[in-house]
Amino acid sequence: MVNYIPRRFTVVRDRELCIDCGCCVRQCSNECHYFSDDGKTALVKSDNCVACHRCVDLCPTGALRIEKYICDYRDNANWTPQYQQEICRQAETGGVLLSGMGTPKPYPIYWDKILLNASQVTNPSIDPLREPMEIRTILGRKPEKITVEKKGKSTVEMPPQVIIETPIMFSAMSFGSISLNAQKSLAMAAKSLGTLFNTGEGGLHPDLADYTDCAIVQVASGRFGVHKDYLNNSRFVEIKIGQGAKPGIGGHLPGEKVNVEVSNARMIPEGSDAISPAPHHDIYSIEDLRQLIWSIKQATDNKKPVSVKIAAVHNVAAIASGCARAGADIIAIDGFRGGTGAAPTRIRDNVGIPIELALAAADQRLRDEGIRSRISLVAAGSFRCSADIVKAIALGADACYCASAPLIAMGCHMCQTCNTGKCNWGIATQRPELTKRLNPDIMHERVENLINAWNHEIKEIMGGMGINSIDSLRGNRLMLRGLGLSEKELEILGIKHAGE
Amino acid sequence: MKIVYAKEELCLNCRLCEVYCKTAHSKTKDVLKANKYENPAPVSRITVYGDKMLSAAVNCRHCDNPKCVQACITGAMTKDRKTGVVSVNEDKCIGCMTCLAVCPFGCIKTGKFAVKCDLCQGEDEPACVKNCPNRALVYVDLGGAR
Amino acid sequence: MKYVIIGASAAGLACAEQIRKEDKSGEITVLTKEQYFPYSRPSISYYLKGAVKEKEMYLRKPSYYAANRIEIVTGAKVTGIDRTAKTVKVGRKIYPYDKLCICSGSKPFIPPMKNVSGKENAFTFLDLASSKAIKEKANGNTRAVVIGAGLIGMKAAEGLSKICKSVDVAELSPRILPSILDAKSSKGVKKHIEEKGHIKFHLGDTVTEAKSRGKKITSVILKSGKELKCDMLILAVGVRPETDLAEKAELETDRGITVNPETMQTSDKDIYAAGDCTVSVDMLDGRKKVIALWVNAVQQGSVAGSQMAGGKQTLGGAYSVNAIDFYGLRICTCGLINAEGEQYSDKVLQSGDSYKRLIFEGNRLVGFVLINASDNAGIYTSLIENRTDLSGLEGNIFETPSLFLFEKSVRAQRLKGEAV
Repeated sequence: MVNYIPRRFTVVRDRELCIDCGCCVRQCSNECHYFSDDGKTALVKSDNCVACHRCVDLCPTGALRIEKYICDYRDNANWTPQYQQEICRQAETGGVLLSGMGTPKPYPIYWDKILLNASQVTNPSIDPLREPMEIRTILGRKPEKITVEKKGKSTVEMPPQVIIETPIMFSAMSFGSISLNAQKSLAMAAKSLGTLFNTGEGGLHPDLADYTDCAIVQVASGRFGVHKDYLNNSRFVEIKIGQGAKPGIGGHLPGEKVNVEVSNARMIPEGSDAISPAPHHDIYSIEDLRQLIWSIKQATDNKKPVSVKIAAVHNVAAIASGCARAGADIIAIDGFRGGTGAAPTRIRDNVGIPIELALAAADQRLRDEGIRSRISLVAAGSFRCSADIVKAIALGADACYCASAPLIAMGCHMCQTCNTGKCNWGIATQRPELTKRLNPDIMHERVENLINAWNHEIKEIMGGMGINSIDSLRGNRLMLRGLGLSEKELEILGIKHAGE
Repeated sequence: MKIVYAKEELCLNCRLCEVYCKTAHSKTKDVLKANKYENPAPVSRITVYGDKMLSAAVNCRHCDNPKCVQACITGAMTKDRKTGVVSVNEDKCIGCMTCLAVCPFGCIKTGKFAVKCDLCQGEDEPACVKNCPNRALVYVDLGGAR
Repeated sequence: MKYVIIGASAAGLACAEQIRKEDKSGEITVLTKEQYFPYSRPSISYYLKGAVKEKEMYLRKPSYYAANRIEIVTGAKVTGIDRTAKTVKVGRKIYPYDKLCICSGSKPFIPPMKNVSGKENAFTFLDLASSKAIKEKANGNTRAVVIGAGLIGMKAAEGLSKICKSVDVAELSPRILPSILDAKSSKGVKKHIEEKGHIKFHLGDTVTEAKSRGKKITSVILKSGKELKCDMLILAVGVRPETDLAEKAELETDRGITVNPETMQTSDKDIYAAGDCTVSVDMLDGRKKVIALWVNAVQQGSVAGSQMAGGKQTLGGAYSVNAIDFYGLRICTCGLINAEGEQYSDKVLQSGDSYKRLIFEGNRLVGFVLINASDNAGIYTSLIENRTDLSGLEGNIFETPSLFLFEKSVRAQRLKGEAV
């Protein structure tokens, strides 16, 4: 059938370099490579290429290249080829457009418009290779005031705290949306880095039993896999209200991805669709949320902090305040550039606000209300490098959630087709022939390397500012200056313009 | 002794081990020339069997009491007493392939002579192991008498 | 402890080496009637055609024997064994033994023919000396006639075809290589050899008489009446176990020397025998056969050596396995290739110049004939040797066999290097 949509990419095979080893043929789950009938010549069929680069990266002679398929439309700034193609796709299927990963739209990225400070002459900079640099981060509700005995011993009963050795944690990605091998790689990396990974709403697979001391377990609207042991086998519990990539939208894991393993972890029948409703059906108010938080604390004997994860939407600051007052110990705010395994394209690309503005607004509101110390703020929604993390912390975040970056470290090439379940890198798929491509023994090392590199860079940036503890950076907006931002933007971000 | 073990649960069926084995055992040691232009074409000493669901690379097990050595009618196939490596002396081998007929693993390939894994003698790690993209091949000593 | 071994080929050498492994101090003496240190007997045809040099034919370096204190006595034709005195006689020389192993191999079988015996251009083709003699005499003008199209005859013919003007092969049986090929495959092989080697076959025929001038044969006359010009006659009708010594010493024999199939002990507890001079029981059909094969000789020699030195090694079942090539055509066969009987079935796959025939007994593989299809043949051999029940296999047995024929646990074991 003619589908009116030109293909996206062309796979170019350099015949001079191709040795017809067939590696590409056996690796492409989109069947872009195949053999001639005699099995001797590798051929190319670009139609389904998603530019995941599996073939390119494994080709031993560099014989393959992926190019944008160039097929010009008549110039039209309004009816761009993308809109025309999406219309054709919907005209064909009658369905909601689905996409994976974060929005690719060219919305402003405030990280790129914020610059960091460094010390000169006064308050001299610190060499992180010579002097200790503290990036250990402690999450959880802090007491309102401190009372001490005569001898100086604290008499305050501390609420449960979670200590992590880096301000970077791995965001929620459920087993189901990603493969067990991918989740295990993150768990292994988290354990060795002294940080946490997040089970998402997919329950905790028994194979990860050794990693419960670095697990954040999620309670989402589908309540998959939630039971008392699940809640207690964790460092903290997170109630997922919303996700940056799809605020106000539930989740839908198609039945074909619910194999035995997924079904066991989620406690649902094999092959049944795993539907996370848009709202929690027992939460219609801050008071309802308070009840759930209370229940979880009861179930965990008040030993685990409880986090509430919300999407960055228009009145995020007020919602954060409400969550704090509902008894949350941690609030995670997920910006609209955050990733997803599958989201309706229109929602992903149009709903929500950037994490920079949401974080600054929420931090300011909580400070203004005098309740900032009641909660820890975790920012999420696309951190591409260590400088983004430093900026987020200076804007008021206690820690950051990263997901896309570690996935890229594991092979993700942002082809944005997670929803098809054909991930050639073995990440966003449950097909055994694909998931085995991701060896946790290799991938946890790569993720650890990445986070260790970022840790080094964070220390270096802090040293340049003359700061030797990440606590001194937190909410320290004087370390930030805007560049090319409007008065209003600067006001919301709570930072001065460069030169001021 | 250290030999190459395949983990079938990690094998990608990419068969790059074969490509790099050929390269390592070629005249030119160049991946393109070895796999495309050299004549006679080098023979891979490791072979991936199976399909995309389940596959594994098989090469010589360097047995304790190798059948191929027992069966060799010319004394070309020997097991080195010190290193344990089973190898073919190409000056002695007449290519009768009796070794192939008795190897219970299917590790010997046909060429002008019997062709088999020599663990890339002289290298720290055999080429197949070094180039396996998923560490499905490991070069370790699992102990035992071997 | 004094060990004496008669014969220094596959079995004799394996026996000596195994003794040395298990007994570091005993004296090992290997007596060979030949003038050479242990060499690869099957290589003599490759030597003939110039594919291998004499120095490459020796199985071990000379220093090896000194290092392992194995004394090889060449030119030592044993004339008798005295079982009561426990000595071996080589002419006047006496070798006392505590344990003796007879690895005397085969002797050529020469059917009655008129005017052949004693002629200077009639040769057998069994050892390096005969190969050297033939090589010395053969040249581009030689018209050679080979009697016998078995393994020895065919290898001789192949070697000669590279040197001689013409090679004719006469074979009494209606097909070539009857011991390793079935009727169907032997036709294809014959065609290949005729085309590539320009060898002329006279099947169902044999030489009955030779015409000669003085001590030289000039032509041979076949049973069919045909006369072939002949400058060189190779007698390769077959071999028989060399049992003369054993018979003289009144050891039990039955075609070959009778041995305990597990320990290789003869009817004398201090005398063992191994290799082509013995008679074995084919594990596949239970029949007594002379399985004259290098692998079997090595295994038997090794077991005999172990037993002589007080070790525990015993022999598994015997079966035949052969691999050979003629002008690039690879033949690999194993087991009961000519099995007859209701209990056997077979299946043939043929495509292009490759031929694969598998022979089954019920659910078990008992034989195969592979021509240009020998990839991984050893896996078939192991199925035969282990008497594996094929219904437990996962893959298609007719495809190129691999470890994926086996279920996961067996496969994992094999990948670890444990033969099953």
